[in-house]
Amino acid sequence: MSANQLTDEEIMAQVAADDLDVLRILFDRHHVHVYNFLYKMSGDSMLSEDLTQDVFYKVIKYRTSYNNGSFISWLFTIARNSLNSHFTRKKVMHSDLETVKYRLGEEEKEEEYSHLHKALNQLEASDRELVILNRFQGIKYQELAEMMDSTPGAVKTKMSRALKKLKNIYLQTI
Amino acid sequence: MEKRELENRISDYFDGLLSPAEVAAFEKRLSTDNDFRTEVDEFKVLFEAIKQEKKEIPSKQLAKNFEKMLQQEKSNQVKVVALASKDNGRFQYLKIAASIALLIGVFLVGRYSAQRASNHSLMAAQQEVLEYKEATLISLLGNESASKRIQGVQLVEEFDRPDEDIVGALGEKMLSDENTNVRLSAMEALSKFSYSDQVKVFFIQALETEENPSIQVALIEILGQLQEKKAVGPMKKLLEKEDTQPFIKKEINNVLPKII
Repeated sequence: MSANQLTDEEIMAQVAADDLDVLRILFDRHHVHVYNFLYKMSGDSMLSEDLTQDVFYKVIKYRTSYNNGSFISWLFTIARNSLNSHFTRKKVMHSDLETVKYRLGEEEKEEEYSHLHKALNQLEASDRELVILNRFQGIKYQELAEMMDSTPGAVKTKMSRALKKLKNIYLQTI
Repeated sequence: MEKRELENRISDYFDGLLSPAEVAAFEKRLSTDNDFRTEVDEFKVLFEAIKQEKKEIPSKQLAKNFEKMLQQEKSNQVKVVALASKDNGRFQYLKIAASIALLIGVFLVGRYSAQRASNHSLMAAQQEVLEYKEATLISLLGNESASKRIQGVQLVEEFDRPDEDIVGALGEKMLSDENTNVRLSAMEALSKFSYSDQVKVFFIQALETEENPSIQVALIEILGQLQEKKAVGPMKKLLEKEDTQPFIKKEINNVLPKII
């Protein structure tokens, strides 16, 4: 069987055993998802590219700490942490994503945002993150629960509320 | 199902995750409850918008940078293997032989240059090349693009013993560049000159200010290898900080006893 047919977890196990070349497959499969998550969260395409690069750098650096669990959960946990560290550094965010007070239009950037992106942006960071990971990146409740140290049921309830808020904001803006 | 429960299952309905019995109950409510139907219709608009949302595609530079980073990591792996064989006796002899050959080489070059005044011009030319490289390096470090700054950092490999200006400029990048990859590259470049006191001071300073866990771990490893006692204070501070990542604390706990 060629490496291309292996699951993410099987490939990551090879990377953890120092076969770095197969990481290309994981990069090809997931870098656009990671980038889109970061872009939807930050609204900054340049920053999202830098952070995506940083995420895969950390995958290499911390490959031996991969615990054979869901690769997607692990990858997006790294992505969330990278974003978190970035905002901490920039003093936009204090201790966690909950306190992000990100406002579009504060900086003069030539980014064009869709109505939906603008509506997402009005959600609290933790709700926004959940909606993006689940509805846009297709990450399942079980994996989200692993990432957020919660239960699938609790994640689902929070998700329903977040979606309802998003729906109301979105319908007001279109 | 109760209405509230049904409302929580709207996304499951659109995702096809309801059982046939649940679908029947859901649709029965849809046909009899106008408010519920409106709510479901509104969600349909939202889900359609999510489906239609354009996927952003990153620039090709991202894949190029990834490839570059992968190659660099692979070459680092090779280096690790080479160092691991240092216990090999034959390797030791080879090293000694190489050192002697180098000494003789240096001696011969020295004598030759003393005898031939014309060699001064060669040295002057070499010096000029080095100065030119140094100017390029410093100017790249000031570039707005992070990848250019990384290029600048990597130019330091051209210098056997970079002078204080170069080390200072790299140290400054490691401490305060906004881009993590630039800080990391600067740190990796400086680690080759960790015998220098100036570099050690930068590493200790970076350990106090750096918040990126990948860089923190690497700094701790380097300072541990250097047996740098002045790093003990900042390491202990990191141990005491609540927001320090657990694996960083673990690394410090591994390294600290080796220093003290």
